[in-house]
Amino acid sequence: MPDLRALPALADRTPLVSHGIRLSPLPEGTVLQMIVGPDAPDQTANVERLANESGLAARPLSPGQWLLIGDKPTRRADMKHLLAALEPQASGIDQSHGRVRMRLEGPMAVKVLAKGTAVDLNQRAFPPGRSVATLIGHIAAHLTRHDVEDFEIAVLRGLAEACWIDLAGMCEEFV
Amino acid sequence: MTSYRLPQGGLIDRGHPLSFTFDGKALQGVQGDSLASALLANGRRLVGRSFKYHRPRGILTSGAAEPNALMTIGSSGRTEPNTRATMQELYAGLEARSQNRWPSLAFDIGALNSLASPFLGAGFYYKTFMWPAPFWEKVYEPFIRKAAGLGRATHEADPDSYDKCWAHCDLLVVGSGPAGLAAALTAGRAGARVIVADEHAMAGGSLLSETAIIGGTPASAFAEACATELRSLPNVTLLTRTTVFGWYDGNVFGAVERVQRHIATLSPSRPVERLWRIVAKGTILATGAEERPLVFGGNDIPGVMMAGAMRTYLNRYAVAPGRTTAIFTANDSGYQLAADLEARGVRVSAIVDPRAAGGATYAGKARVLRDAVVTDAHGGRSLAAIDIRSGSRTDRLKVDALAMSGGFSPVVHLACHRGGRPVWSDEKAGFLPPANFGGLTPAGAARGIDGLAACLDDGARRGANLVATFGFTATPVAFGTVEGDVPVSAPAKTLWSIPGGKGKAFVDYQNDVHRKDLDLAVKEGYGHVELAKRYTTGGMATDQGKLSNVNAIGLLAEARGLSPGAVGTTTFRPFYTPVSFGALAGAHHGEHFQPVRRSPLHGWAARHGAVFVETGLWYRSAWFPRTGEKDWRESVAREVVNVRRNAGLCDVSMLGKIEICGPDAAEFLNRVYCNAFLKLPIGKARYGLMLREDGMIYDDGTTSRLEENRFLMTTTTAYAAGAMNHLEFCAQALWPDLDVRLASVTDQWAQMAIAGPKSRKILQAIIDEDIGDAAFPYLAAHEVSLFGGALHGRLFRISFSGELAYELAIPAAYGDSVAEALMATGRTEGLMPYGVEALSVLRIEKGHVTHNEINGTVVPADLGFGKMVSLAKPDFIGKAMLQREGLAAPDRPRLVGVVPLDPADTFRTGAHILAKNAAATLENDQGYVTSSAHSPHVGSTIGLALVKRGDERHGEEVVVWNGLNGEFTSARLCPPVFFDPSNEKLHA
Repeated sequence: MPDLRALPALADRTPLVSHGIRLSPLPEGTVLQMIVGPDAPDQTANVERLANESGLAARPLSPGQWLLIGDKPTRRADMKHLLAALEPQASGIDQSHGRVRMRLEGPMAVKVLAKGTAVDLNQRAFPPGRSVATLIGHIAAHLTRHDVEDFEIAVLRGLAEACWIDLAGMCEEFV
Repeated sequence: MTSYRLPQGGLIDRGHPLSFTFDGKALQGVQGDSLASALLANGRRLVGRSFKYHRPRGILTSGAAEPNALMTIGSSGRTEPNTRATMQELYAGLEARSQNRWPSLAFDIGALNSLASPFLGAGFYYKTFMWPAPFWEKVYEPFIRKAAGLGRATHEADPDSYDKCWAHCDLLVVGSGPAGLAAALTAGRAGARVIVADEHAMAGGSLLSETAIIGGTPASAFAEACATELRSLPNVTLLTRTTVFGWYDGNVFGAVERVQRHIATLSPSRPVERLWRIVAKGTILATGAEERPLVFGGNDIPGVMMAGAMRTYLNRYAVAPGRTTAIFTANDSGYQLAADLEARGVRVSAIVDPRAAGGATYAGKARVLRDAVVTDAHGGRSLAAIDIRSGSRTDRLKVDALAMSGGFSPVVHLACHRGGRPVWSDEKAGFLPPANFGGLTPAGAARGIDGLAACLDDGARRGANLVATFGFTATPVAFGTVEGDVPVSAPAKTLWSIPGGKGKAFVDYQNDVHRKDLDLAVKEGYGHVELAKRYTTGGMATDQGKLSNVNAIGLLAEARGLSPGAVGTTTFRPFYTPVSFGALAGAHHGEHFQPVRRSPLHGWAARHGAVFVETGLWYRSAWFPRTGEKDWRESVAREVVNVRRNAGLCDVSMLGKIEICGPDAAEFLNRVYCNAFLKLPIGKARYGLMLREDGMIYDDGTTSRLEENRFLMTTTTAYAAGAMNHLEFCAQALWPDLDVRLASVTDQWAQMAIAGPKSRKILQAIIDEDIGDAAFPYLAAHEVSLFGGALHGRLFRISFSGELAYELAIPAAYGDSVAEALMATGRTEGLMPYGVEALSVLRIEKGHVTHNEINGTVVPADLGFGKMVSLAKPDFIGKAMLQREGLAAPDRPRLVGVVPLDPADTFRTGAHILAKNAAATLENDQGYVTSSAHSPHVGSTIGLALVKRGDERHGEEVVVWNGLNGEFTSARLCPPVFFDPSNEKLHA
């Protein structure tokens, strides 16, 4: 039996910390992409319920699509159960390895992000709890605001390191 | 006599001296100086040479429009040519060098051009350098470019960093003069999100040069108080040193902030410049107005300066223009200057006013000459005297400084960047911005408002009105009484030209365009404003005619007997002032130039010595060299042979993977592909061809049915994103009635091809289920358990190499471990990694196509896939157009193999096919080699080609012609499958 280890995409990256900004990798837990059918009624309540039951957080991705996200991996049987529960109104696609999350927090977080995203980060326009698909520089990303100065960024696994390098560059003047 | 520093006054810090150099000479200024003010304070009037005639030039303005005082700042990689001395803040150690002169600024050999000036008029090179034609590119143009011109960029790398940033606001205020500050304060106090951008180091605009008292506070202190309040408001951002350079769609403005261009010791962690993209709901254009020069002989001699600039140097920088000053003004602003000069003890010898009753309120000592004009200025490198004509009498007056003011042109540039045209106003004697074009609201002098109090009031009211439309209740801020406000009435008659002058009367200083050049343009049929610009070069180069364009239009109007409004302006486009390439590139250079996309098996490949190749954003392992191998071909040949003999492992994670779910997924695929997919069994993969609407092949790949309503499509690496977009378009636009859900899962899986006769044995060691041919036949595809249930993946029995082969997909984070486990398990079976080069050789040997062959012009039958097309289906994308007559023409290029007659010969991809003995002409072109490689299996170069009727010509001798290198290779057409044509290995 070989030594089977999950190798995080940002395994080589240690948090970047200063008094104004902190950039850190988040655990590669669970990311489930949920897509409802085109004619399905509003599934927001169902999504929230399913997420709560599964210990996951539901974040809008695009019209009719959500990401259900958790810090811990979901066991295979539980994932199959969850996927089955979504059907037929919706389909679930396991993206737990396909998306990598990182956290950007601190008083300078908005200034750093404004270098990469065209999203209006003012609290009135983008309040805590809101998610949006955007670009960070050249890289497609899913941005969630947890708190005034606390953001989560999810990107494709293959681009995670590039996104980290870009974000670290954007942080440089505040480090 | 020359300019000098006054002992008192100004917004400068005399207790903070700053040393700098100009052309190597050490000079000293003070904190708060611009480079221009510091040079003037040091008595340096001569600061540059003109573009064409190399005439001595001095500082003309105090702001962004400066055409003359262009300098090269800095050294090595920080060399910045064409820096306007008027915009450059002084800092300790600044190195400035004059441009366009040799051997020195004072003695410039190029000034001899002035002697030849009768032959160097507008368009002279169009007429002069006609013959011989080849000389234009080889002799004339290089010589002219060397003789004329501006500064030179350095070839050294820029060591500094640049940044880009987005900003959003309710109100963007461009300019922080009286109108801008009033608008910003009004909107800011109402709670609107406001961004104020001003190109200067200090907010205040013209207030910084003013002597008026606003609400009991001197104008400059008033400006400072306004700026302090704006900075204190959390909803307001005040950006100084920030030039808004363009207005773009979506109400996005581009601006560049000079973050560290004014600092002696740069912080390495901060950018030197930051490019802002500002998204604004509404915009106040408070850009003020540009003072126009007067066009008289010698109006470019150092010592001649714009009146407003002279007032700025006097009041803001405490620099007197000279010992004896004259003022030539067509409006009342010159009288304000006279009063200020006299108040500071600078003698004003004359005010020359072409109007009959100008300056009625002036009560100073200077002689006022009404109904008079300055016809000529005299002097070499510094002004010595002027000729004043009054009636029929002309007198010469000795002066060492002359201020001029021909009127004011509102700065309308931004308002016209999105197609709006400025409107001529006879009343204001200037072009006004288009009214409310695209939601941009001009205010103050930018829309021709005259006087300080009026501009404050206009800015406040317009700011309030604009933010009210966004739901804010705003009260226009009142600032109290303005004392010393002298409205500058427009000239009763615009004074475009002054007859009687003998010297060159310059219209465009930066391009050495004088009045006679414009006369010539009109005479020779280039009187249209756009043609005159190109013919004379007026309005080009770094200042883009900020000072000259309106005068040029006025002169054209006079010459053509039209009004300036009828002549119109040239087209305004970004950028308002030059923007560095560094700012435009931002951080996107070096490792940030474009993102690198890494496979989950990247580390595994690197540990095994992979040489990587960029494939789009991906880094793919190209080959894995081993000690002793002399070149890449040897490594690739070894990998190919090993796959055929034993087994190889190749990272194919970057191939596109799309999950297609939903109750209508099968029907959806049946319409997307030209072959049948409706009845694909669960657990099976099928090769599919996607066509475009025109019937040509778009992309190919395999699609597997994992569950009743869940499919997995693979695409080529290059077309992964395109295929996803295509499918989304089909689902959302073509067939919204189908319930289908699409998700890219490319990054979810680490996918490895295990190919070769021993692949099954190697894989079976880690896979729990039986993967023998009976249990897991060719094109089987389903989930498998690995390592006794410790992990689950997806296994596909598909082959690109033609060997017994599988593709194993593992959740990406485990890819590295599983690949290493396979390498360990397969070591005894001879398993080796192989890269995309070997993969390419293997697929060419097998006759498998890629986008080399799927080149956008082939239909399925061209590649031998004609029988795959299911015309029995009700519809699929491309079905109708595929049946066009021409797409079934017998002489279409079709896929065929090519081998050299002599195995020692070779040919290259892209070479063309000629019939044997045919002349090497394009008329005889039969097709071309789409792919080629050295085949260890065949023992020679092999190729795939698209050749006319290729599939009917197997065995025919042809010539492979490489026209670029003049190579001819005798070859034979053959079946495109060089390896295992009966597929025995595939089905082993």
